[in-house]
Amino acid sequence: MKFTCDKNAFQKEISFAQEIISSKSAVSVVSNVYLEAFENTLVIRATDIKIGFETRIPVEVQEPGGITVFCDKLGGILGSIPEGTIEIEQKDNRIIIKPTFKKAQFSLKTISSEQFPQLPDIDDDKYFSLPAADFKAMIAQTVFAVSDDETRYFMNGVFVERAEEGLVTVATDGRRLAYVKRTLSGNIPDFKGVIVPPKILSLILRRAPEEGLIDVAINDKNIFVKFGLYRLSSILIEGQFPNYQKVVPESQKYELSFKRSEFLEALKRVSIFVEQKSRRTFFAISENKIVLSSEESEVGTAREEISCTYEGPEAVIAMNYRYIDEPLRVMDCEDVLMRYTETSRAVTLSPLPESDYFHILMPMQVD
Amino acid sequence: MRRYFHIDLDAFFASVESIDNPELHGKPLIVGGASSRRGVVSTCSYEARRFGVHSAMPIAEARRLCPQGIYLPVRMERYVELSSKVMSIYADFTPELIRVSIDEANLDMTGTERLWGSPEEAAAAIKKRVREETGLSISVGIAPNRYLAKIASGIRKPDGLVLVEPGQEAAFMRGLELDKLWGAGVKTRGRLEELGLDTMEKLCSVGRETLCQLFGKAGGDFLFMGSHGQDPGIYGQEPKSRSISAETTFERDVRDRESLESVLLGMAEELCARMYDEGLSSRTIQLKLRYEDFETLGARETMRGPFIGSAGIYDAALRVLNRKWDGRPLRLIGLGLANLGAGEVEQGSLFEDDSDRAAKKSAAVERAVFEASKRGLGKITRARLVPKPEKDKPKK
Repeated sequence: MKFTCDKNAFQKEISFAQEIISSKSAVSVVSNVYLEAFENTLVIRATDIKIGFETRIPVEVQEPGGITVFCDKLGGILGSIPEGTIEIEQKDNRIIIKPTFKKAQFSLKTISSEQFPQLPDIDDDKYFSLPAADFKAMIAQTVFAVSDDETRYFMNGVFVERAEEGLVTVATDGRRLAYVKRTLSGNIPDFKGVIVPPKILSLILRRAPEEGLIDVAINDKNIFVKFGLYRLSSILIEGQFPNYQKVVPESQKYELSFKRSEFLEALKRVSIFVEQKSRRTFFAISENKIVLSSEESEVGTAREEISCTYEGPEAVIAMNYRYIDEPLRVMDCEDVLMRYTETSRAVTLSPLPESDYFHILMPMQVD
Repeated sequence: MRRYFHIDLDAFFASVESIDNPELHGKPLIVGGASSRRGVVSTCSYEARRFGVHSAMPIAEARRLCPQGIYLPVRMERYVELSSKVMSIYADFTPELIRVSIDEANLDMTGTERLWGSPEEAAAAIKKRVREETGLSISVGIAPNRYLAKIASGIRKPDGLVLVEPGQEAAFMRGLELDKLWGAGVKTRGRLEELGLDTMEKLCSVGRETLCQLFGKAGGDFLFMGSHGQDPGIYGQEPKSRSISAETTFERDVRDRESLESVLLGMAEELCARMYDEGLSSRTIQLKLRYEDFETLGARETMRGPFIGSAGIYDAALRVLNRKWDGRPLRLIGLGLANLGAGEVEQGSLFEDDSDRAAKKSAAVERAVFEASKRGLGKITRARLVPKPEKDKPKK
């Protein structure tokens, strides 16, 4: 194998591959990136066993062939050499990387491309298209709420299911829940709801363009995603996602509304004193005002008042700081509607005017 | 001028047993986690010590040395109850109190003369209250630093009082037998004797550098400071947040996993009971290991949620032990719960979870047992910790 290419273009794809790879052991083939050159194309593949990644870039191929190399070191080399054309050539069980304008030369050990795991694949006609902006918004609105508790593996991903005229995404860690139901045009086929690990979703959020379409395909083991020249796949989490519909309150007794940015700012200041273990923060609601306050500690305490629209009885709700901060950060509205029935039961946050998503959080014990 | 009291409850578990059952008074009592195969002596009465039984000794060996002994299971809840009572008496004398373990405390009594009189008077007052309110006897060591106070408390037992005046630290140490040098076990003493350093006086004549060459940096510093009556920092920096801990220094270094596990199980129960007793909760465990060469290491592990019951604490302790212990003989093992807070704030849950519920149920049972035994409703202990009758022992 021998090819020449632009260093920057190559480096960009290798750094994407590095995000996929989780193993840093130089002897393991899954620490390696797969390179295959043919017909003036370079195919790049990477995997962490669960996620598959493939892209292609145009290169000048002198000699076709395939090989795998330690991705971490390849990335290090590419990051250290100046822009320009580079030449990559396989010699026995090494590849030689040469910037064409410097006298430097790197030699990197390889593992044969046959040992690289076969990435899962699906027929092209199984893909359906989603507007990138919509799919990314659905991910952003839910992915943070995923549980990282491995004993509750079935909550370790975002649940994606078909809805009439669109898709639903839901994530929960058992204490809070994020939900989006978006109407999407297109040819979405019927499929049984699946639990998608957050890693591939975060990659889509970071790497997929804002505009255009993202192609998605789902079978019973994997989800496949295509955008630009990228092809990603991820295994699905097996298991039964909790019956989330059951915990969505049908109606709630009291409601109040406030400015999202004002609330977030106040929350940030109060959080300085929030007790780090429980992260309990108090919200005292009375007519047209909310008082945010921290636990009283030996160090001190913080308290801030903001205005709101509210006409119900006075109440104090205690919530985990993170559980209220995270959804408010990703909501895309100016005003927020908060609903509750009792201070010990679920609190709902939705945009005002209401849209196609909401967040539910369970409060903490007040005293 | 600093003034520290180190107070040790005399043969604590055994004393509690004979208070609760006066018929046992004056008999060789051995309390320990004691199934026939595993289990070590937690405490034994002075009568049993005459047979050569000592704490952390395998129960099987104790039975061999003292077949006529009365072997009793550990009733941790009851000991914790009395320990708390005693600790709260200490706390009436000073707020600066380190609870070293269930039966030991180190009190900073600096500047309390106007309140409690001379150190002897203060010690007598503490002894009197402890005896009147619990029936227990204590030994008190008083010294200008914590280390010396600890050593002084062990000099005259039971019901002892030993006072080391400021300026007398080095002289006091020189007058002691080598085996009173706390932190130096059989093996270190053997090594010292091989080097001809068979008395404290001879040890004191050796320079710090020489000791460091012979015993390594940590060991050398420890021996030098200790033998000169300076505190080598045995209780470390006082933690910023509250923690409770228990530790055992083995008279003979231990490398047998089962013994270590039994000691840890006992400690987990003790810590759990103390935690409940004070209405606290924790999700961080810390394990302390000191090897024969004085190399000391600590490791901690923080759980996702608070410990529910002693089983959780024990499991976490084993995980850390497996990770950190390299199998070499240990001279000391300690277990602690860190970042103690007021009972964990309850976070509401969207879905009912079966495994959560099961853990909470068994912890509720443990708590109920604890409360019941506190109120004197019988003796309840883990079946695993009940001594097996002799006749059930498998014949070898």
